[in-house]
Amino acid sequence: MILKKLYNWLDERLGLKGIYDNILDRPEPRGNWWNTLGSASLFLFILQGATGIFLSVYYTPSPDHAYDSIQYIMDGVAFGWLVRGIHHWGATLMVVIVFIHMLRVFVTASFKYPRELTWLIGVGLLLATLGMGFTGYLLPWNQRAYWATTVGTQIAGTVPLIGEFILKALRGGTDLSALTLQRFFAAHIWMLPAVLAGLIGIHLYLIIRHGESHLPTKED
Amino acid sequence: MVVLKPFPDPKMEQVDYPEELGITEAIMGEETKQRINERYRHELNRGERFWPDSIFKDLIVSLGIFVLVILLATFIGVAPDAKADPSDTSYLPRPEWYFLFLFKFLAIYGQIPLLGKIEWIATVIIPALAVLLLVVIPFLERNPDRYYGKRVLPIAIMGLAVVGMVILTLMSDVPTVTLEGSDLPGILQAVAGLVIPGVAVILLFLMSFAFKKASTQIMLWTTGTAALLMLGVTGVVLALAPKAETTEIEIAQTLVDQILAGQDLYAVQCTECHGDDGSVTTIEGVEGLEGKQISAINGHDVLYTLNDAAMSEVIAYGRPDAGMTPFGKAYNPEGLTKSEIDYIVVFMRYMWDDRFEIPEEALKPLFPPLADGEVPSYEVHIQPIVKRYCVSCHREGKENNNYWMTNYEEILTTGDNVDNNILPGNSESYFLQVIQETPIMDPENPDEELIGVMPPNKALKPNVVDVFTRWIMNGMPETAEQAAALFVAPTPVERAPSGTPTP
Repeated sequence: MILKKLYNWLDERLGLKGIYDNILDRPEPRGNWWNTLGSASLFLFILQGATGIFLSVYYTPSPDHAYDSIQYIMDGVAFGWLVRGIHHWGATLMVVIVFIHMLRVFVTASFKYPRELTWLIGVGLLLATLGMGFTGYLLPWNQRAYWATTVGTQIAGTVPLIGEFILKALRGGTDLSALTLQRFFAAHIWMLPAVLAGLIGIHLYLIIRHGESHLPTKED
Repeated sequence: MVVLKPFPDPKMEQVDYPEELGITEAIMGEETKQRINERYRHELNRGERFWPDSIFKDLIVSLGIFVLVILLATFIGVAPDAKADPSDTSYLPRPEWYFLFLFKFLAIYGQIPLLGKIEWIATVIIPALAVLLLVVIPFLERNPDRYYGKRVLPIAIMGLAVVGMVILTLMSDVPTVTLEGSDLPGILQAVAGLVIPGVAVILLFLMSFAFKKASTQIMLWTTGTAALLMLGVTGVVLALAPKAETTEIEIAQTLVDQILAGQDLYAVQCTECHGDDGSVTTIEGVEGLEGKQISAINGHDVLYTLNDAAMSEVIAYGRPDAGMTPFGKAYNPEGLTKSEIDYIVVFMRYMWDDRFEIPEEALKPLFPPLADGEVPSYEVHIQPIVKRYCVSCHREGKENNNYWMTNYEEILTTGDNVDNNILPGNSESYFLQVIQETPIMDPENPDEELIGVMPPNKALKPNVVDVFTRWIMNGMPETAEQAAALFVAPTPVERAPSGTPTP
């Protein structure tokens, strides 16, 4: 009884019925397992967000302390090794799943009318995910991270005319330094996640608006 | 609240596009659009509900991924690596694995004559074109066909692109030039990664546009053959590749490991001048630094006034005016890495700084104590002792009468006095005399010391001398098994029988 009242009170204010009708109780074409990869990517994004927030409690983005703070997460924090392990492997799986998701959409030609914009946003999401991988790789401040980023930013610096500018903008100077780590950290935890979240919002809106595409048959 | 309209939205269908603009016509005819929407509605009618049908599948897959991530995190974990060391330019950079294909592509591209010199074509233009291609796909492929059989060309090209990325990733560890200077691996890699897919794509285009009637079958055969060839050549490249030497880097993860690693490094690198307890104030017996006055490094003067970063810097950059040599890689390719220097600092802190409490486990003895009649072995007893007290000077490049002690062979077979140094079962061995503070005098010039007492600054503890004595008197066994075979049970002492067994 009390639950019913509570529900009615919330429904009046939140419009739960409308949400249910419009978002959950939608017709979909007959399902297939390949169509779950998009939501799997979303799940991994949330998982990376949750573990990333936990890691940021202990992580220090400075060359003097970054390495040691991660040692501490691995060794001193209860289940820190697990959270970092999940974040590490979650990143790898996210790239794999997002890529396979893109291939699936391409093979079933789901990017065609009326879902062209969904595809464009999806390309943005793929690039932002790779950007997360690139910026996150530097944060442990170990040998792998340092030298991979040195080379990675060097490659960005080969752009004709503006290469020098891009290189300095990425590194915060001519060399990899505390500034580089600081801005990669900012990009990794603020800028790129904001971009991702925004694009995911549009992507989801478009999926709800147009519905999932059906598997093409000879008629299509 | 914005009401989200699920797609078949009757109001949308009725929108009249201004025909005179001709835009909609050019992109896709209204009729086609209606047919597509009709078709989709038909699929929806024989479909399912998002909740609970689709969500259920999504949840199962996400749960499976979650379990997989946890298993990977638990059983494989994150590979440890040494701290970033900007001075270590010998480090071979490797990007995260999903960028390896690009990395390899750049390497292969770089060996193309002439064109390969224009770096930015590969680093900028080609990746930018690839991204651009992804962006414009919906506008390139404007026909409404969705069935695979009607889209052989795009699917074949994408398939070849994916196979190309996979094989470039697989080959990423194989250098393009062999040690002998042969370009063969690079050429094969270029064939597998660029030439075959390039030729196949051109053929596919010709089939679709030049010979309109090329059958789907032929196109599929072309694609399949190209993919198999790419994989085959990759197999050859991998088979020809020399086995990569995996250098195990030891990373001390826990505090105890770091202290012990620091202790070992200190013993080898620092003891020579600073003594095994850091208390030396006048350097003795070190070439070039003889008699140099230095400050003890185990007291408040150093430990309270320098923080960890400052201590690391002193070790890495040295103190030229005070005689301290730089140990960092920046000055010496054979030098210490940043991580190794950090371990030494951790060791000094926990060992000598009275504000830090050393963990119990870090204080475990250097070697297991010997029972009566037990014979020590090289691997269990001698090696850790030698590493702690002797190797600092007795290695290549130091003044030591050419006596090196970095392994079992060297201890027994090197040195100017090797004939008298270690004689099995002989307590007159030079080795045993000098560690018991009896210098060896030069037989031809009895006033000159041939070998001074060892170690020069501080006598070994009696239990260490005992280990060396037992080892040499029993013929210097190398392994624990050999030593155990020499075990002499102590003669049982006559004792009055007692009721309580000894523990």
